[in-house]
Amino acid sequence: MKIDVKTFVAWFKDRLALTPILKYMTKKEVPQHEHSFWYYTGSSILLFLFIQIITGIMLAFYYRPTLEGANASIARIMTELPLGWLVRSIHSWSATFMIAIVMVHMLAIMFTKSYRKPREVTWMTGMMLLVVSMVFGFTGYLLPWDDLSLSATKVGTNIPMAIPVVGKWVTQFLRGGDDVTGDTLTRFFLFHVCILPLVIFAILIVHILLVQKEGMSVPLKDEIAKKKVPALPFWPNFVLREVIIWLVLLGTVLTVSLAFAPSLGPSADLMAPAPEGVKPEWYFLFLFQTLKIFPANMGPVTGEFVAVVLIMIGIMAVFFLPFLDNKPETKKGKLVTYLCILGVIYAIVFSIWSLQ
Amino acid sequence: MRGIRIWCFLALASLVVPALAAARQASTPDAPGPQAKAEVKADAAAKPPAVAQEAKTAAKPAAKKGEEKRAELIVPAYSDIRQRSAVIVFYVWLWFSIAVLIYFLRQWVKEADRVYKAKYYEPEESPRKGNPMAAGVGE
Repeated sequence: MKIDVKTFVAWFKDRLALTPILKYMTKKEVPQHEHSFWYYTGSSILLFLFIQIITGIMLAFYYRPTLEGANASIARIMTELPLGWLVRSIHSWSATFMIAIVMVHMLAIMFTKSYRKPREVTWMTGMMLLVVSMVFGFTGYLLPWDDLSLSATKVGTNIPMAIPVVGKWVTQFLRGGDDVTGDTLTRFFLFHVCILPLVIFAILIVHILLVQKEGMSVPLKDEIAKKKVPALPFWPNFVLREVIIWLVLLGTVLTVSLAFAPSLGPSADLMAPAPEGVKPEWYFLFLFQTLKIFPANMGPVTGEFVAVVLIMIGIMAVFFLPFLDNKPETKKGKLVTYLCILGVIYAIVFSIWSLQ
Repeated sequence: MRGIRIWCFLALASLVVPALAAARQASTPDAPGPQAKAEVKADAAAKPPAVAQEAKTAAKPAAKKGEEKRAELIVPAYSDIRQRSAVIVFYVWLWFSIAVLIYFLRQWVKEADRVYKAKYYEPEESPRKGNPMAAGVGE
């Protein structure tokens, strides 16, 4: 039997049923219009997710999720292992870039109203991905186990306490007890490297399948005018353009990781008082400031409870945005856009305010 | 198209191979390139290489035993001007490589767009229609 590369590729395609997928990829088209640039943010998120996985696995080879070993193992990664500090820096910076691009992607969809029918579920899965990405950041923040990460986790895991009935239980579940201890560290590590990756991949698969099923949206005004929008083949025309953007992003993340590598504080002391100026990661700053501005008591309930309820309402409103904005071409649609702009201004102003 | 692909591959290889070499070089004790040093943050820039090295070795036992509490902050910093210069050279090389890759990718994009606009792969409208040499186009 003659075996060459062509035969092998044909066998591979046949056994894995790749032919229809490849046919689909060559037939797939991407609309070209004034907002087409925002399509590239989706694949850029995948790029950073890939970097996260690779650098995360490299770090996990040496990381020890124990009270005694966590900080020391990171110190070892940074001082003893070849380029360990750079791997940690790339992991940290690519997480920041990933969340930033997820937010940009979400805002682009929000302002172009691409969540409209029939893409409501795509939007909702996207929102879930944003939340999971932020939880990834929150769980990862504790892993270096220095004073700052311990205090930030104490503050963060204390927030669910304000939720009536289940609040205390949620806090205990997150901490693995009444306070942040070594059990919390082990628990957060498990979330960070096992549970959350499974969750993010499950949601991501649904999200990508929905994007493939519905295709990419066209501008609202073109849809109303029933105008035929010119399109570009996905392969190779669109993919090549994506690669150009990936290269720029890759260069940027490497430059930033080299120039601003994160430091590591001394190992956290469970008995020590919280250090001054404890702040969460940048993407939680506006929520942190919102909680801070509320007074301790507001009548029969605590200020924290009111803040948590308002934040939950805000998150739910964004989650169900496609249903709230079900007629985007009307005045109601414009009102929703103004509310979204207000929301973005609030997040920026409060984030800056919290840094003062 | 084939030529562009080859150039892109060569440019990509030129990106990967020196990066691996630099990584190996930087892992050796006296190599140029940034290495993680345990330093007190306030003195990070001012300390001479010898002090930085001392601080690094001082941090090692704590990292190994994992029981003694390390008091200082670990800040990745350049120990000398050689490492600082090596990083600048790396930046220049990195962005130059990216610029070269982007140049070739842009050529590839232009070619792909031209082929698409010419409807080259659409059998009914292909400029190669009727050409017996173009059998199989669009399949």
